[in-house]
Amino acid sequence: MMSLLTMIGAAAPSKEATFWMPESASTVAPMVDGLMDFINIVCYIFFALVVAALFYFAIKYRQREGDYTFDSDGPTHNMALEITWTGIPTIIVIVMFWLGMQTYMDLRTAPANSYDVNVTAQKWSWTFQHPEFAVTEANELTVPANRPVRLIMASQDVLHSLYVPAFRVKQDVVPGRYTSLWFEATEPGTYQLYCAEYCGKDHSLMLATVHVLPWDEYQTKMGKLAREYEDIPDSQLPAYAINRLYNRCASCHSLDGSSGTGPSFKGLWDRTVNGTTEFTNGQSVGDLSGPGGEYELAENYIRSSIVQPQRHVVQGFTGAMPSFQGQLKERQIDALVLMMKHLDQVVDADGNIIESPNLGGDDAAEPEQEGASE
Amino acid sequence: MSTVDASKTSGPAPVTDNYLTHTRGVWSWLFTLDHKRIGLMYLVSVLGSFFLGGIMALLVRTQLLTPEGLIMDQDQYNQVFTLHGAIMVFLVIIPSIPAALGNFVLPIMLGAKDVAFPRLNLFSYWLWIVGALCFVLALFTGGLDTGWTFYTPYSIDTGSAMGGVIPALTGVFILGFASIFTGMNFVVTIHRLRPPGMTWFRMPLFLWSIYATAIIQVLATPVLGITLALLAVERAFGIGIFNPALGGDPVLYQHFFWFYSHPAVYIMILPGMGIISDLIAVHSHRHIFGYSFIAWSSVAIAVFSFLVWGHHMFTSGQSELVTVVFSFITFSVAIPSAVKVFNWLATMYKGTISWNTPMLYGMGFIFIFTIGGLTGLHLGTLGTDVHLHDTYFVVAHFHYVMMGSALIAFIGGIHHWWPKMTGRMYSELWGRIAFTLVFIGFNLTFFSQFMLGSQGMPRRYASYPEDAGFQLYHILSTCGSYVLALGFFITAGYLIQSLIGGRRAPANPWGGRSLEWQCTSPPPHDNFAEAPTVGDCYDFSVLRWDENEQGYVWREDVSHPANEAHT
Repeated sequence: MMSLLTMIGAAAPSKEATFWMPESASTVAPMVDGLMDFINIVCYIFFALVVAALFYFAIKYRQREGDYTFDSDGPTHNMALEITWTGIPTIIVIVMFWLGMQTYMDLRTAPANSYDVNVTAQKWSWTFQHPEFAVTEANELTVPANRPVRLIMASQDVLHSLYVPAFRVKQDVVPGRYTSLWFEATEPGTYQLYCAEYCGKDHSLMLATVHVLPWDEYQTKMGKLAREYEDIPDSQLPAYAINRLYNRCASCHSLDGSSGTGPSFKGLWDRTVNGTTEFTNGQSVGDLSGPGGEYELAENYIRSSIVQPQRHVVQGFTGAMPSFQGQLKERQIDALVLMMKHLDQVVDADGNIIESPNLGGDDAAEPEQEGASE
Repeated sequence: MSTVDASKTSGPAPVTDNYLTHTRGVWSWLFTLDHKRIGLMYLVSVLGSFFLGGIMALLVRTQLLTPEGLIMDQDQYNQVFTLHGAIMVFLVIIPSIPAALGNFVLPIMLGAKDVAFPRLNLFSYWLWIVGALCFVLALFTGGLDTGWTFYTPYSIDTGSAMGGVIPALTGVFILGFASIFTGMNFVVTIHRLRPPGMTWFRMPLFLWSIYATAIIQVLATPVLGITLALLAVERAFGIGIFNPALGGDPVLYQHFFWFYSHPAVYIMILPGMGIISDLIAVHSHRHIFGYSFIAWSSVAIAVFSFLVWGHHMFTSGQSELVTVVFSFITFSVAIPSAVKVFNWLATMYKGTISWNTPMLYGMGFIFIFTIGGLTGLHLGTLGTDVHLHDTYFVVAHFHYVMMGSALIAFIGGIHHWWPKMTGRMYSELWGRIAFTLVFIGFNLTFFSQFMLGSQGMPRRYASYPEDAGFQLYHILSTCGSYVLALGFFITAGYLIQSLIGGRRAPANPWGGRSLEWQCTSPPPHDNFAEAPTVGDCYDFSVLRWDENEQGYVWREDVSHPANEAHT
């Protein structure tokens, strides 16, 4: 049976998008596309037969002017015919089921030498952790080409579904359990990854990009990513945060002052330092800051909001943010705090990220800038 | 027994006493026990809901004209697609054919004066109204953005889903009971009130389909009620059933939900198939081909419908073994569906086919249902479903079946029985124009969504990446939806116009032989003075066209079954 499929698949080895299918870039894609072609051909044949009969009968036997006598001599029943048109479709769908099951088992059975990546889905971003390299990526997944990759997936909140059309793979990500899928990318390049299970407000923005690299380039990039925030001088951390970390915040926190699911980052540092941010419990940052307060240092409030977001929810928002505890290294949290402090240096007045910000060469951020921003 | 002789009601003279004029005043309608009036009230309510759901659909389509979304923000879009789905499923398609047309036609087809439990019937209608009002309440208590499926844990989490979840669940729960009572009423009516001579295999096929549907309504809907009650309890009191944070299982919810909602798909489509069986036979003036195959296929579909719910969950995280088993059983539904299509075509063979509006809808149904059914193969096949699941391919597939088939059959049925219900004929010309627009608009709207889905566009997206090549298909689809809407507006126009200026309808304008064509149009309050006797309801050779009547009458040279019954 599979030889039939691979035959059809081999007849159309194109990696380009076809009328029905998008570009294909994984080892299972030709099998899925072959199966799709087979089903399509069956459909075309049956559809043509039905529609041809429909139009032919409708025209040939149409009621003509004054034709009002109806005979009862036509056949009303024909056992042989009815058994035939029950039997043939039955055989066809059994074949279809069998081929589909074969492909499905291939899709679900990861080869033993798979390279594992841990995936965390949360409203509305993806986090990819590469245990081998101790690298964490946000909304970008870098994988080696020509090597089976297995994604072990967990959800922090609601149902999500990881879907890469070019690889023909999809699997729901379910809170409270791990699910997995695997693929072997065949073509270096970049591919779109979607969330395919409705997960609330920014479902349609829960996108990620898959970068497929040859193995050696892949290793080089992983090595670089593993060290990137360690090697960056402190003065460049705001730029690192806005370019490499903010994409995980972007679906809820704007940079231009408009409110999303969470408060805008624009002016957030000032609101914190001035203590004007009010919480749903009636307190404000001001009540908790100052000597001996929970947020004696403004930095502590930012840090707490990242690792314990439900502790104090800002007035007017629902507290939908998941915790990033354990997903961010300490130095990355430092980078985010510094980004808040110096947001006006990495973001322009309209909320656009500045490509190459002028952050000065000194390592520590100057404390006297704190009150002076804006 | 000559009361059932169609030729007796000769001449187009208005009948003085019919069910519309029997009693007067608003209260005589709101608290009527007459199945015909209840059917008509359902019809108006369902069409009103259809209008609202249709507006939502147009908003969804307009939003997707541009990649970033044209008219709404994410939250608004999520509410609009949720309401579109919930209204169309729970308030329109499920009650459309059984509750509106079924209520009107079923007792008359049986030669009965009413359904078995007229008070329960009225109660069902008022439950429906209360259920619909709960949806309105949901809008004023924070809105609803869960999708019509209420998937957990999103719907449980008060920090995620909007505040209208519990009112909406209450609404669906109550609507469920309206549906259960209607189904129960129909089962008993068909069992107990068939007239002399109407054995099971002499019933019009519409009744077989309504019977199969009613069985599903009675057996499956309670499961939905319980599931949604559990969900409401969990959301309100934090009892862990479906939420993993409380020790529950979100996939369990999907099993429960689809255990009802898959059979519900057949609650929607089976009555449509029944209408089409009768439409094709009557307007082809040809005996239905393979009566018992069609009748049994309705029953087979009803039985299989309970065994295939897992195909909504092929990528949900259920086990591979379960997935494979469900795929296999799913294909079993394809067979009876295919058999019906072949039988309808064979019925047209050597017929005398009238190209009038109801028949156009009948033929449109065959065209659209064939596409809807065949594309089910891509989704039942596991290897391709993984790619297509939760994409626009699925959206296109179920619109071809739910909208293009179930609703088109409903509209076709309205056109078929409109003269009977209102006593007026509508404009054939405008009927054909509107059908053409509906047919072209529908296919333009939804066929483009097959490509959209197989190219990778996920469902329930308020915006989409610019460079993925989706926009062209979205534009085609949106244009189609405007054409479709125009078709429906024209339909509403000429149907309303017919009430005012339409020609008076004869008893039997199309040449039907089931019993509803033997009483006057509109029928009298009691339908029949005494239970009529029945012949073969698909033998049209005994009818002839009568120029004075502008309708079909019994041939004088053929003896009437009412007389045969006494010999």
